Amino acid sequence: MERNRDDFVIAIRSAFLKKGTQQRFSLLALIFFSITFLILGSINYKPINNLKKILKETVYLSSFIVSVPENLLGKTYVNIYNHFSHYEEYKKIRKELEILKLIDLNNQILNLENIKYKKLIDDYFVKDNETFAKVLIDKQSPFLRSIIINKGMKNNIKKGMIILDEGYLVGKVIEVNYLTSRVLLISDINSKIPVSIQPGDIQAIMSGKDKQKGVLQYIKGTDLKKDNQEFIVVTSGAGEVFKNGIPIGVIKMEENDINADDKIVNFYRDFSQLKYVKVVSYSQELESLDSLSKKDSNQQQGKIKETNQINETLRILKEQKKIDIEVRAKIEEENFILKNTIFKLKNELRISEQIINQNKTLSTDLKYLKLDLLYGAKCKKNFFNKLYKVDSKKYKACVLNKGLIK
Amino acid sequence: MNRIKKNNIAHSLYSLTPVILLFVSVLNEIDFNYSGLKYFSFNFAYILIFYYNLKKSEGLGFGLVFIAGLLNDVVIGMPIGLSSLIYLLLCGAASYLRNITLRPNLMKDCIFFLMTILTLNSLSFLILTFIFSYELNYLDQVINIIFTFIFYLIFSYFFNLLEEFIRERS
Repeated sequence: MERNRDDFVIAIRSAFLKKGTQQRFSLLALIFFSITFLILGSINYKPINNLKKILKETVYLSSFIVSVPENLLGKTYVNIYNHFSHYEEYKKIRKELEILKLIDLNNQILNLENIKYKKLIDDYFVKDNETFAKVLIDKQSPFLRSIIINKGMKNNIKKGMIILDEGYLVGKVIEVNYLTSRVLLISDINSKIPVSIQPGDIQAIMSGKDKQKGVLQYIKGTDLKKDNQEFIVVTSGAGEVFKNGIPIGVIKMEENDINADDKIVNFYRDFSQLKYVKVVSYSQELESLDSLSKKDSNQQQGKIKETNQINETLRILKEQKKIDIEVRAKIEEENFILKNTIFKLKNELRISEQIINQNKTLSTDLKYLKLDLLYGAKCKKNFFNKLYKVDSKKYKACVLNKGLIK
Repeated sequence: MNRIKKNNIAHSLYSLTPVILLFVSVLNEIDFNYSGLKYFSFNFAYILIFYYNLKKSEGLGFGLVFIAGLLNDVVIGMPIGLSSLIYLLLCGAASYLRNITLRPNLMKDCIFFLMTILTLNSLSFLILTFIFSYELNYLDQVINIIFTFIFYLIFSYFFNLLEEFIRERS
């Protein structure tokens, strides 16, 4: 037992303390150095930070040179692939172009409107610094997804600046050296971006998940409309880390479990194909807004007055309309009653007319009968005269005439 | 005379192969540690360092391993000194195995390598998570360890061939 322990100690001592053949440093000494570096680095010790900077400048440039052959191979492969798929893509692009031209016109109008309204609410940002940079190293390790760009302090790059690739969000600057800077990609698990999901304007936080994917957090219980197949994810501008409205990616509902709490975002850009990126910073449009705002405010006040007047007129008209409706209802009610009365009266009139007619007929008959008794003999036909038959028309006329017509 | 000179240059180049491989793998943009595939990654530097410290300790100096670790930290963006520490501990483990081994066996080497990288990755994970507040994916780590272990078998075969080739030339 004692022997075994001794062997172990000897082996360990030999491994860590003894300098091997052609070994200039003992392992233990170097391990001690590493630990010292780690500890001093964690407390931001200045000489270590300076050493870091020197190392970074050297490594980034040498890494770029070492990576040239592999990059060349990668580019050749991409070129060959593009060449073969050229015609198919051309047809597809032509179709898309026609559609996009139409959409673009609408977008231009919407953009102008958007700028106008954003200026009104002091939320309009302008680019105050824009630089194009080349991607030196695209080192996508599982620990930290980041890229190195060839612009640094010398080119006015500052920590926190936004990195765009053709208008799409790629990441932000987290480390600035004199000639180079490190960009944390949005696909990194440590990047937390306040985003807005459209349509619906749902607010969430997005962090990286995969090479081409992100995951939305803190949207538990939020109901994404099920009838929508795609949701667009843009920066929300919350926390003033990013300008709002920078496109990031899409959520495809077919890829996501409806009940899942974390939704997957597919990024628009392929981060492994980044070659040149745009480094921008935004600031509020202060001066131009001040000069514009005076004119705008007068115009706005005028408009507000007009609107208030229109509102007041509208209110009065609404009141009048209400009263009119009430009056109309009353009139309609009265009208209905009157119509009923007219109908009744007409009925009565008709009945009265009938009675009058009957009475007239009766009175004529009565007169005829009376005169018949008196003058019937003068008109009646008999053996000795050639007068009229009883009840004939001529007889009646004769009776009513009280004898023969002379 | 010229032939001798040529031979010397070729020999020194051959003997520097592991160092060149180590530095290229550390500085290179195309990293085997993250190949871009979703469930595939392995740490080539681990395999190289372990193999050469186990089989041919003079091939890779500790100082060079230490510098390679520093460069790796800078390129990947990890705290300076962490990769160096892990690489050197790997060197230590390989040296220990070399000292206690009488009859070398590939399977035993592999299992020892697996135990070592499990321990070292755990240590790296603990340091990154608890001291430097990094967020790491467990699954990526596990996949990396498994494939590094599997690829040790393949690469040790290729390194053996390379060593034989160098021996023949020299």
